[in-house]
Amino acid sequence: MLVTTYRYLFLIVFVLFFSSCFQVVEEINVNKTGSGTVNLTLNLSASKAKVASLMLMDSIQGYRVPSKQTIQKELEEIVSYLKKSEGITNVQKKMDFDNFIVSVSFAFKDVANINTVNQNVLKKLKIKGLSNASYAYEPKTQTFQRSYQYTKATVLEYNKLKPEVKNVFKDASYTSIYRFEQLITSSNNPLAKISKSKKAIMINTGILGLINGKTDISNRITLSK
Amino acid sequence: MNSLYKCLVALVFASITLSSSAQDLVNKIPADALAVATIKGKNFTDLMSLKEFNSTFIGKEILSKLSKGTDKAVNSVEDLGFDLSSSLYYYNLSNDSISYNCFLVPVKNAEQLEALYTQANQKFIVKNGIRSYYNSDSTEVAHWNDKFLLFVIGTGKSGYFARPEVAERFKLSQAASVGQAADSLSIAVPAQDEIAVDSTMVVDSLEEVVAVPDTIGYDYGNTFFKDEQKKKAVVAGWIQLMVDDFFAGPNTTSILNNKDFIKSIDQQAEATIWIAGADKLFNTYMPSTYLKGMSFLNGYGSANAKLFLEDKSIRINTSMAFSDEIAGVFKKVLKRKLNKRFLKYINEDKAIGYLAYAMDTKAYLEQYPKLMSKIYGSVYADEIGMAADLFSLLLDEGAISKVVKGDGLFLFNGLSQKEVTYKSMDYNEENFESKEITKIKKETLPDFLFMMSSEDTRLIDKLIAYGVKKELVKNSSGYYELSVPKSPLALYFMIKEGIIFFGTNKKDMQDIAGNRYVANVSRKHRKVLMNTNYAGYFSAKKLFGKISVEEFASTKKLEKLNNVLDSMGDIYLKSNPIKGNIYSGEISMDIPSNQQNALKYLFSLVEDAQK
Repeated sequence: MLVTTYRYLFLIVFVLFFSSCFQVVEEINVNKTGSGTVNLTLNLSASKAKVASLMLMDSIQGYRVPSKQTIQKELEEIVSYLKKSEGITNVQKKMDFDNFIVSVSFAFKDVANINTVNQNVLKKLKIKGLSNASYAYEPKTQTFQRSYQYTKATVLEYNKLKPEVKNVFKDASYTSIYRFEQLITSSNNPLAKISKSKKAIMINTGILGLINGKTDISNRITLSK
Repeated sequence: MNSLYKCLVALVFASITLSSSAQDLVNKIPADALAVATIKGKNFTDLMSLKEFNSTFIGKEILSKLSKGTDKAVNSVEDLGFDLSSSLYYYNLSNDSISYNCFLVPVKNAEQLEALYTQANQKFIVKNGIRSYYNSDSTEVAHWNDKFLLFVIGTGKSGYFARPEVAERFKLSQAASVGQAADSLSIAVPAQDEIAVDSTMVVDSLEEVVAVPDTIGYDYGNTFFKDEQKKKAVVAGWIQLMVDDFFAGPNTTSILNNKDFIKSIDQQAEATIWIAGADKLFNTYMPSTYLKGMSFLNGYGSANAKLFLEDKSIRINTSMAFSDEIAGVFKKVLKRKLNKRFLKYINEDKAIGYLAYAMDTKAYLEQYPKLMSKIYGSVYADEIGMAADLFSLLLDEGAISKVVKGDGLFLFNGLSQKEVTYKSMDYNEENFESKEITKIKKETLPDFLFMMSSEDTRLIDKLIAYGVKKELVKNSSGYYELSVPKSPLALYFMIKEGIIFFGTNKKDMQDIAGNRYVANVSRKHRKVLMNTNYAGYFSAKKLFGKISVEEFASTKKLEKLNNVLDSMGDIYLKSNPIKGNIYSGEISMDIPSNQQNALKYLFSLVEDAQK
């Protein structure tokens, strides 16, 4: 009897603690030559109190909570992997454990270099569902292609999660910003918004849409010659 | 088989809907049943009529599911053919080799029941006025005549079949060389008709069936599956024997001869579960191979739980009998009452719930070795004896019980909203350049106060002094603040008049420290708290409108939650003082005054949740 009531009270507290949100931001600046910079950010600041509470625990509801040291170690691994990758330079990481914001940035020689490293980085950050992405830049036709293919595996993984944990993704958002030296003449994704300067394009959407395949973030951007 | 499950589901709910009285089947339950569950159909129908049930959400769902895959729609639960004018029963019989789960249900119209099977394309046979249905391996069977239906699910015990002499007797390959066995043995699974027709089949003849070469082509080429099939065939034979015996004649060893069962019968209860012995049930289901000699529930006797659906509340009463020795332990441990001074810090106007407990730490620590020796004593008597002595030597039970006396009260005083800042990304319109900005949002936080009694606070005082020195604890006037980095939830504590307070509300702490706390406890709560060892209360209604919309994805969802919270009555739980060797407790929920009775209220909750 007591156990049931304890559980009930715990559930209310738990739901309050777990209904949090986070931001994933992907920024890519592409030069005319095809070189450029990437900045990937994971921002859990809006849920920092909850994250801090969770991090005091070893595991919650059967899920292991990574320690600060584990997160630091994993990020170090990403950075050292990037440093060794072909065409990648100026690798930098930023960890703000007061606000729980983690970001990695680097410069690339050619857009194709991102494809090789991107999947591994996202895998390391445990962001599933965004890993079937690739980028292509054609200087001849002045097009930048962001391909994204949805796989059912993502939603299957998501469905395995406990309802309380699913809540974490409820308000989570994904933002992609691509900036160019040239003017953008067209884009084929209706979700994309072009900046006033016409040199940047942004998609801001919910992560849940990416998980269940309802949102398509692929885009073909044509630039002025 | 599926349709049979459907029938059983329907049956449970249909019990709500039928009236008048018929012969009670309870006398057919064998005296050695380990557990019996009773559903009193009449009590349910007094609360809700058949017609009303058919038009409820659950009623409609059941009828539509029953109609699926059948030629004719089932329009009323009455059409199922069951007569629930009397009670319906579930009981469990177990021995070292098999466990039978049995459902015993009165039949009103055998033809209707037959039609149900026929419509669902399920075959059954008729012999001597008894209709029999078997699943594919005959481990789930239903037999019925014009008066009652007996549905049995039999499960063989792996521990029994693993015994070498048993494996050899039934020619299970695990006793012999696996490869050799696989080659030399194949199985003849008794098809349902074989068993069904030959109701005189006994285990010995079944063994012969098992041992003969494959006659019906079931060859899985896998010794494991072959073994499983053989075991199931043996189990099927045992079930058949049991069922034959059941239908053969009067039950000379009825459960009605069991005084304890008789005592558990309550005509007012809508449903009752009775367990012959918690220890017996535990030993039946626990793997004896791993826990040999250990008895976790040694000294725990019969138990029962009763459900009462009343005009003003829903109640579940539970009770358990203990051996003299264990009851003695409980009596000593439970002799403490809650600290009366806790009542000075309860304000019912804001309390949404509480949990209180009172036990004697000293008695518990003194009795602990005894409890351990009851569990492990038979196997590790010497070791437990030494451990118990060591335990007593190392622990000063008296000193510990002064620090932690053993009683506590957790008060849930609601939810409060606090503004918190966080970093977010902002992008300019010109070129979507990102910039980190600070935003403000509201966090909903629980508000609680926990109290526990302590006579000797020297150790805690030292800990506090250490915390202050290390700047983990801030000393305010009369209370302390615990610094939790990054958490918007403030934590405060203090020690006053032999009570350790721990809470989230600064004002409460200031008021307690300044003797200004305004308490408000009704007689009802005062009585429950002071006269029991365990007490709980939760008023979901008081949470109405207190959860911020920011915690929910949509306003609609929040509205729905608020509706459910608003329609829920207050929940209470309490333990009763131990009487003789019986320890009992109760959990209950009040019913809103606009509801006719508990059953209709439960159905209305389901309907509300579907809206």
